[in-house]
Amino acid sequence: KPVVDRIIRVDHAGEYGANRIYAGQMAVLGRSNVGPVIQQMWDQEKAHLKKFNELMVAYRVRPTVLLPFWNVAGFVLGAGSALLGKKGAMACTVAVEESISNHYNNQIRTLVEEDPEKYKELLQTIKQFRDDELEHHDIGLEHDAEAAPVYSVLKTAIQLGCKAAIFLSERI
Amino acid sequence: KMAAAAAAGSLWRAGWRLWRGRAVVSWQLCPPQRAVQASAVLRRVSDEQKKEPSVSSSQFDLHPNDYQPEQEPQGPHPSYTGQGGQESEDYESEEQLQHRILTAALDFVPEHGWSAEAIAEGAKTLGLSVAAAGMFHSDGSDLVLHFVSQCNTKLCELLKQEQKQVQLGEAEKKPTDQFLRDTVEARLRMLIPYIEKWPQALSILLLPHNIPSSLNLLTSMIDDILHYAGDQATDFNWYTRRAVLTGIYNTTELVMMQDSSPDFEDTWRFLENRVADAMNMSNTAEQV
Repeated sequence: KPVVDRIIRVDHAGEYGANRIYAGQMAVLGRSNVGPVIQQMWDQEKAHLKKFNELMVAYRVRPTVLLPFWNVAGFVLGAGSALLGKKGAMACTVAVEESISNHYNNQIRTLVEEDPEKYKELLQTIKQFRDDELEHHDIGLEHDAEAAPVYSVLKTAIQLGCKAAIFLSERI
Repeated sequence: KMAAAAAAGSLWRAGWRLWRGRAVVSWQLCPPQRAVQASAVLRRVSDEQKKEPSVSSSQFDLHPNDYQPEQEPQGPHPSYTGQGGQESEDYESEEQLQHRILTAALDFVPEHGWSAEAIAEGAKTLGLSVAAAGMFHSDGSDLVLHFVSQCNTKLCELLKQEQKQVQLGEAEKKPTDQFLRDTVEARLRMLIPYIEKWPQALSILLLPHNIPSSLNLLTSMIDDILHYAGDQATDFNWYTRRAVLTGIYNTTELVMMQDSSPDFEDTWRFLENRVADAMNMSNTAEQV
């Protein structure tokens, strides 16, 4: 029970944050030619969030108390990276999606170790979402993320932030 | 020093459990020696190799006069570590026995308050020696926590029943404010038989070593009430609603302490007003 609790709480926070990141990116780049691409990824994240909202109610899990903070931080990250240009936004996407995919993979490993039968549905959901996030990651690469200014620094910084966010949201 | 460290460890673990949503209610933060003593006491009665063969049954109430508390063990009793397989099928677990004693002790609370005396009297009615009260904390904490836990369980059962009735179409779904009012009233009414001594219970619940458990019990109860009220918030409202309901519950409880109106009607009116305030606040917040 505590395992599932944490998983749902942190994933919910993650999808919520991802939503806000794309919202921030759209606010800056909505009218550019990558607007539709970002919009499409954003819509998928909205669907993910909806699913986790449902799971949260079904499993009676407490949301992280840091949600208002992720609300602002996500938007700022999205908008900030978009202000660095289209490639900057794509670099942010690549960094975040890579973090999230690794994170989902870890969760899948944990659940499979625990009891794959019991958590079948949850595993299915997480696997599906992990595949979606990997797709976003590839889209980001396709759109010249690596050509972004200070790509490696940006990527490292954002991934560090993601690790911290995951650590905190699991617990608080 | 070992006991203090162990107790501190238990406290930390209990506090940590608080961070997790629905933690298991395990408020028995007794230091290790008590567990050992308790098990030793129980093992001694069921141990068929002891000097008093007449105490061979594991049902305590059969031979009340034969059970004599011999010298309490100093430190780990040898039988604690390995009696496995000798207990009979219907051997009562330690926890079940403690529950029975505490439940029996509740009858004596109006007279003795939430104390070791009440627990001792309760143990007597079960045919046990008053020394059985030594299994518990000397300040009556275990009795209060047991009672609160029992009330919360009863409340949960009540809510489940009501929910089933609504699902089967036998009852109408109540509007939120009425649901909250009725639920809080039902829960507070469980205090009425003990209302004289409830202020003492509240002060016991606020003792530092009880705070993790009492907070845990309070938060689970509030979470249960909101769950059955149909709360599906997954944003910060989750916290706001629980905080507001906790405030309503606690203030109403305090009002009830010094309410002398017939059947506590002042308290229920206070409750109605607070719930109405809360609904107003949330409606206004939505409009803004």
